[in-house]
Amino acid sequence: MGDLPTAPALLALARDVLLTELLPLLPQEAHLDARLVANGMAIAEREATVGNEPHAAILRELRRLYSDHPQADPAQNGEVEVETEEFGLLRRFAQDLRSGAFDRSEPHSRRARDILWQLTIVRLRLANPRFLNANGFS
Amino acid sequence: MEGTASPRSEPSQDPSAAAGERRTRLAHFLAPAAGASAVEITSLSPLRGGAIQENWAVDASFRDGPLAGSQQLVLRTTAQTGVTASLSRIEEFAVLKAAFDAGVTVPEPLFATDDEAVFGKPFFIMRRVKGIAAAHRITRDPALDPALPALAERLGRELARIHTIRPPRHDLAFLPAPDEVGPARQVAAFRAYLNKHATPRPVLEWGIHWLETHFPTPVAPVLCHHDFRTGNYMLEGPELTGILDWEFAGWGDPFEDIGWFCSKGWRFARLDREAGGIAERAAFYAGYERESGRPLDPRRVFFWEVLAGVRWAVIALEQSDRYMIGGERNLDLALTGRRASECELEILMMLDPSGVPADG
Repeated sequence: MGDLPTAPALLALARDVLLTELLPLLPQEAHLDARLVANGMAIAEREATVGNEPHAAILRELRRLYSDHPQADPAQNGEVEVETEEFGLLRRFAQDLRSGAFDRSEPHSRRARDILWQLTIVRLRLANPRFLNANGFS
Repeated sequence: MEGTASPRSEPSQDPSAAAGERRTRLAHFLAPAAGASAVEITSLSPLRGGAIQENWAVDASFRDGPLAGSQQLVLRTTAQTGVTASLSRIEEFAVLKAAFDAGVTVPEPLFATDDEAVFGKPFFIMRRVKGIAAAHRITRDPALDPALPALAERLGRELARIHTIRPPRHDLAFLPAPDEVGPARQVAAFRAYLNKHATPRPVLEWGIHWLETHFPTPVAPVLCHHDFRTGNYMLEGPELTGILDWEFAGWGDPFEDIGWFCSKGWRFARLDREAGGIAERAAFYAGYERESGRPLDPRRVFFWEVLAGVRWAVIALEQSDRYMIGGERNLDLALTGRRASECELEILMMLDPSGVPADG
């Protein structure tokens, strides 16, 4: 177990100090950069908060999609293996989408598109949840 | 891209010790170019915001000749990090001149040189137009709201005027031939990029596959601006003062510019205003149709809008690569890669509207 405060808590506090205490002291021409720093910290904080679970969920969906045609052994326990397996399956998925491999079967195509939505929403929840909200997503 | 070069913000002072010498060399270039017996550079300062190009505000006093008196100018040259898809400054000058001659509202192009002895790099000089180009301000400012439908209509007319420039053109002979451009070439380029990109992008692959199975029938090529959008034109109050950033111009399908202008990636603070974040599409389309005399086919616009989403995503990833691979220490570039997912969401919303997750 790591020390406290946690990484997300430290990032949240540091970001708050930057925006509320430091930003008003900075010259106007440095405000944009300071806001970019705050944005980068917010993304890092969200990623540190959710951990690996969203990626593991995508991986489960990809495994299910490819369950009829496994190419590799399922991942062992541990983050490194999950990342490696997710990367391999994502690459295969991307190649299949490029070649139109799902076009011939509507149920298969639907499952593939569901994963695309899931993947995109997971990424945007981390990178830009406001954009997601502005487009009607929670 | 947002933040690319243009004379759009207040100058800051050049701290370089060589500034005086640089002014002298520039004055010596400008005098004969402008038919003046003498030119004095009264101010030379970099303008902020040039990620791809570098712009300098130049205040110059011409003793005589056609520009006699004080002139406010912009010197545009290439930034340290060039982007491969962009025209050279000499070529951009030629395109700007063609647009100016066609009656498009642009900063008047004046002189260009590839003599590196003057400023260290090739550059061109244009008049400095007044106003702001900041897209977030334009799309957020309530004081501008009443004028924005008319602005969208005007921009539609301006775009139609750009599209009156058609090949063959001797002065634009450097542009890739029309049969060397087009959506098939772009699809191939997107895939070539994704082949070497570190992370698989399934949504982009899916969107590109849709594109290649829905190519529109070819139309007669025109000059496309290829970055015609909010953020690349200057407004003084509600008045359009200039269309900027011609570095990506080339022959293409006219609907490409329309799709780019309307794509969600360029609506900034107002996603609901589908014409560049400033108005309904109808106003923009009406201006284009009135000026060109041709109706716009929404299906063609749709195709090019999907392509715009893919293109913006690839550009965002390329910007991030400048940090990830190129080692440029620039937080803005590093963060831009994250925006690719915004484009991917839009691609999904356009191509799979019935698939929106129930809990989304």
